Amino acid sequence: MENIRLRKITAIWIVAVLVLFVAAITLGIIMRLNQAAIMKLSPAGFYENMTVHGLTMIGIWFVAGMAAVNFIMERYVKTSYSANLFAFIFTVIGVILLWVSAFVGKFHAGWTFLYPLPLRPLWDSWSIVLFLVSLSILGVGWLVWTVSLMAALLRKYSISQVFAWQHIGNKNPEIETPPFVLISMISLLGVLTSLIAAVVVLVLLFWEFFSNGTFSNDPLLMKNLTYYFGHTIANEMLYLGLAVIYELFAEISGRPKWKTTWYVAIAWNLTLFFVLAAFLHHMYMDFAQPQSLQLIGQFASYLASLPSAAVTVFSIIVAVYRTKIKWSMANLLFIIGTCGWIIGGVGALIDATISNNFVLHNTLWVPAHFHTYNAMGNVLFSLGFFYWFSVQYSKSEVTNKLQSLKIALLILGGIGFLAAFYIAGADSIPRRYSNYPAELAAGKSYALLGAVSAIIYLIAILMFFVNISRRCLSMLFAR
Amino acid sequence: MQHSILIFFAILTLVIVGVFVYVYLSSVNANEESKGMKNALHKRGWFLLILVVVLAMFASITIPKSPYFAFANDTPAKVIHVAAGQFYFMMSYNAIDPKNPSSDPSIEVPVNQVVEFRVTSLDVNHNFGIYNDKNVLIAQTQAMPGYVNRLRYKFTTPGDYNIFCLEYCGSGHQVMRSSFTVK
Repeated sequence: MENIRLRKITAIWIVAVLVLFVAAITLGIIMRLNQAAIMKLSPAGFYENMTVHGLTMIGIWFVAGMAAVNFIMERYVKTSYSANLFAFIFTVIGVILLWVSAFVGKFHAGWTFLYPLPLRPLWDSWSIVLFLVSLSILGVGWLVWTVSLMAALLRKYSISQVFAWQHIGNKNPEIETPPFVLISMISLLGVLTSLIAAVVVLVLLFWEFFSNGTFSNDPLLMKNLTYYFGHTIANEMLYLGLAVIYELFAEISGRPKWKTTWYVAIAWNLTLFFVLAAFLHHMYMDFAQPQSLQLIGQFASYLASLPSAAVTVFSIIVAVYRTKIKWSMANLLFIIGTCGWIIGGVGALIDATISNNFVLHNTLWVPAHFHTYNAMGNVLFSLGFFYWFSVQYSKSEVTNKLQSLKIALLILGGIGFLAAFYIAGADSIPRRYSNYPAELAAGKSYALLGAVSAIIYLIAILMFFVNISRRCLSMLFAR
Repeated sequence: MQHSILIFFAILTLVIVGVFVYVYLSSVNANEESKGMKNALHKRGWFLLILVVVLAMFASITIPKSPYFAFANDTPAKVIHVAAGQFYFMMSYNAIDPKNPSSDPSIEVPVNQVVEFRVTSLDVNHNFGIYNDKNVLIAQTQAMPGYVNRLRYKFTTPGDYNIFCLEYCGSGHQVMRSSFTVK
């Protein structure tokens, strides 16, 4: 069973993620207020803010998923506490260096740091090095953690068992692979490949930086590698959240535990391949990319939706429909998060259609869809876990005061700030503009609606933050 | 087109939210005797089949409309060379020499004829986003150093068209723009 040390480090992860989440939301609100012409940042200040906001958000929700998966995994296999602690220390150092490179060193190449922008002389050269070093530190910490969790699973399960192949074509195999184990392994493998792509990008950037002009990279290859990393890690962190839902939804609801079936096994094995090819939809507007890859991008994006919709979402609906279950904040967050994930997925599929992408690419439709499945999907999956964990393992009394208010503010704020993105995207307003030119001045009104709604969302998050952190901290200092 | 997409998305969102609310309420109102969903595997199969058919229909309708295939067999009436840089667009009727780039003072393209834009970058990644006089994005391609992206388009309405950069390229990204006239 989960030991005290694991509980404590999980509690530290939760508090750290929530603190950084509040900070990163605040950066997001500042950006929207600047776009609305209510605040006045310099363009470089805006883009520093944007770079930190994007990378911090990706980072914290990735580690939130990892911390949850690590905690639950201890039910099945012995995980490494050292790897968990190592990842935490490296994450803290990496995040601090990242913030310093942007806010002190003025580095602002965006969270995608698309080659060759980071290497241009737009900021001090030490800040480029610091930025790349910060990402390398994060990468090393996360690689060690990922490999350690995969190794923990493989010490108990064989390759075919960990991927639940014995369930395909056999209704009652001798050894059952729990869905949590299968989904964790699929997600961790995807994470591993994305981190390897990140390492390759970083090595190539360092190489060119220190080559004194004797070596230069290929921009198209670098863009493919960057999006392989960025798209894949953003998707896999959602799947880490789903692994937790497969484990906890039934348990929290007071229902029998979910089991791996042949269609769950097939669906998740297929997901691995489809998701790894879906990143190609980021390259649609690079007409120099081979057309076959562009078409694979659209097909893979469509196909990736099938197993998730027909298996995961359908399973949640089956688990809930006309079934008496114990509703609590945790499983409410899980089901609202699933709904948000699907809606964001529909927005993503629309954008992953090449002919739509021609008029939506790099408009605010893009942040619209990924904020939907993050802010109203993945964040809620992790919040559900945080809430369950803090209630389960702290001795503090649980009060259900303000539960409905929290949910209402979360949904109201979420809808407002996402609607502002979607409508602006359909109105051709570009993303990543610090200020809007006169022709696109409508973007200011959408930004104001987005900022006000995001403040409502932030209030809900602060309420969760106080509630969950208080219990986590009491757990931390308990003997 | 974008507004039709938005309406389509809004309808799908309402349907999804409706299903989730309905399913949630069915659980809240359930009692101990409630049996949940009957024939769930059967229904799951049908759901998957419908989804596959719908997505296959979408793919078969949309893929032929991809910009790579637009006017692929036509001979462009005019070719415009575009070189993007931090934070400007150079446009010329003649090929642009990257070592000594220069642009034409103004660009005119013919209405109702196929035009080809050959777009590249002289430094970092940019984007060549064409907006009509109602400020609607009608076409785009990326501008990548070392590569030329060929965008073919037929303008059916005369007027002034703006170009905005749609790929983040540094602190002057939001002021990077140009224009041309369709006559």
